[in-house]
Amino acid sequence: MLFVLWLLIALISIFAGTYDVNPIKTLISGDELSKAVLLKIRIPRVIMAAVAGGTLAISGAALQALFRNPLASPFTLGVSGGASLGALIAIRLGLSQGFLGFSSISLFAFLVSLFTIFFVYSVSKVRGVVATGRLLLAGVVTNFLYSALILFIQFFSDFTQSLQTMRWIMGSLDVVGLDSVWKTLIFAVPGCFLLLSLTKEMNLFALGDDVASSLGVNVGRMEVTIYFATSLAASAVISVTGPIGFVGLIIPHILRMILGVDNRIILPCSFLLGASYLTATDTISRTIVSPIEIPVGIVTASVGGLFFLWLLMRTKKEVII
Amino acid sequence: MKTIIEGENIRFSYDGLEVLRGIDVSLGKGRLIGLLGANGAGKSTLLKIICGILNPKSGRISYNGREIAKMDKREIAKKVAYIPQDSTFGFPFSVAESVLMGRAPYIGRFAFEREDDWQIAVSAMETVGISQLRDRLVTEISGGEKQLASLARALAQEPEVMILDEPATFLDVRHKSQIMKLLMRLKGDRGISVIAATHDVFSTLFYFDEIILLKDGTIFAQGRSEDVLREEILTAVYGMRVTVKKENGKMFVLPVE
Repeated sequence: MLFVLWLLIALISIFAGTYDVNPIKTLISGDELSKAVLLKIRIPRVIMAAVAGGTLAISGAALQALFRNPLASPFTLGVSGGASLGALIAIRLGLSQGFLGFSSISLFAFLVSLFTIFFVYSVSKVRGVVATGRLLLAGVVTNFLYSALILFIQFFSDFTQSLQTMRWIMGSLDVVGLDSVWKTLIFAVPGCFLLLSLTKEMNLFALGDDVASSLGVNVGRMEVTIYFATSLAASAVISVTGPIGFVGLIIPHILRMILGVDNRIILPCSFLLGASYLTATDTISRTIVSPIEIPVGIVTASVGGLFFLWLLMRTKKEVII
Repeated sequence: MKTIIEGENIRFSYDGLEVLRGIDVSLGKGRLIGLLGANGAGKSTLLKIICGILNPKSGRISYNGREIAKMDKREIAKKVAYIPQDSTFGFPFSVAESVLMGRAPYIGRFAFEREDDWQIAVSAMETVGISQLRDRLVTEISGGEKQLASLARALAQEPEVMILDEPATFLDVRHKSQIMKLLMRLKGDRGISVIAATHDVFSTLFYFDEIILLKDGTIFAQGRSEDVLREEILTAVYGMRVTVKKENGKMFVLPVE
C-alpha cells in the first residue's frame, strides 16, 4: 500500500513543475526540450527524493532501535553534521575526481560520519555499556562543533561559494541526470539492506543488552554493523543533498503510532513512507512559489515540525516513548 | 543426579578489578539453587557468565560437557534463559509480542513467527498467569507484571535452565511468593533447573534446594539449605548478626540487630 502511495506521489511529482511537461505526450511526440526536462531533471529528481527520503527514514528507525530512544536520528547524533562537513571539505579542496569510481565527496562524507560515530560511541560507552544520555549529548555537542567548523570554512569563502554552501546546507534535491543518483545508490542500497537484515535483532535489543545477548544476539557486532550501515547510507545521501532534517525522526514515529513497534515492519515501511514523504515535500517546494524553488530542507523541517507538534498535542495522554 | 552446568575455576574482572576469583559451581537437573551474597559479591557477574552473556577471563563453564564460550549463541539461547532484575523495554511492545521474542533463537533472520511459536507463547502466558495482559503494552504494566512477562518470555525459549538475577527484589509479598511457587512448579513439572540470585534472605530462602553463598568473589559456603543457612555463616557473609529459625519444617532467617 505504501508502495502504491509512493508511485502516486511520484507520478504527480513528474507532472508538476514550472515547465509544463506531459510525460506520455513527450515520450511519444519527442519534443527535445520537454524530453530533456523529463529525463534529465524531473525523473532523476523524483528518484533522488525517494532514495534520500527512504534512506534517511530507515537510518533514523535503525538508530532509534539501537539507542532505544525515539529521539535518535542521523540529525541528532551528529551523523548529518559529520557528513556535511566531510562533503564540504572535499568540495572546498576541489577534489572533484573520484577514487576507485566513487566520488571523493561521498567518500569524505562517509569517512567523517564514520569517525563521528566511533568518536561519539567511545565517548558514550562506559564499562561496556552505551549510556543513551551521554550518547545523545555527545551527538548534539559534536553537531555544534561541526556547525562551527562549517561556518569557519564559510567565512573564508568568497560570496558565490558561500551562497552555494548555504543553499547546500539548507538541503536540496537539485540533481541533473542520473549520475548523482547512481553515486548515492552505490552506498545507500548496501547500507539499507544491512539494516533490514538486522531488524529481528533490533527488536530483541529493546529488552536490554543482557537479555538480547541471552536470546542469541551478538550485541557488539550488531551495534557496530548498525553504526557502519547508517553512516554509509545516510552520508551517501547527505553528501549529495545536504542535510535534510526531520525525515529520520518523524517517519518512524508516525509509523510506530499506526503499526506498532516491530522493527521488521517499521524499517521497510519507513523506507517507503520516507520516500513518499520526501517526494511529496520536494514537489511542494518546487511548485508552491513557482518559478522559485525553496530548498526542500526548509519544507521538510516546517511541514515535519508542525505535524510533529500536532501529533504531540493530539496524543497528550498517551505515552509515546 | 545429572549435572547440567559445570564451572571450574571461573575468574572475571572489570577494568582490572577482580570480581570473581576462582569459582567452582555445578548445577544438577531439576534443582532450585539460591545464590546469596552481599552487594558486589559477584552474583550478577557469575549468572551472566553461566548463560554466556559474559565470557570468563579464565576457567571454563560447560553445558552438558560442552564449553559455553565455544557454543553458538542461538544454541545456548535454546537451552538457557536469563531473566534480569529489572525488566527494561525500550519500546512499547505488547506483552504477547515480548513473550514471543523468546522464540527468536528458533526462527530465521528474515522469518516471522509461525503458528506453533504463537501457541508456545500463549501457553507460556497461561503457565505464568498473565493471559489477560497479552494485548497490554509492556511499558504500561506494573513492575510485578513486567517480571512475570519476562518469565513467560523465558519459558517460551523452552529452556532446560533458567537463570534469574534477583527476580523478586522489587516485588510485593504476593508477587514474590507467586514467582517462587512458579519456579517450584517448573522444577517439578518440567525438570527445569533454576539458579536465582537473591537478596531476600528473610522470606524466600525456604524454597531453595541448595544455597551458594558468595563473599568477595569466592564461594564462602555451598550445599543443602539446612547445612549452609547457619547463623555464623550468614553473619560472616552479610556482616550483621542474624538468627535462623525453623518452623513447620521451613527455614527462616531473621535479623537480630
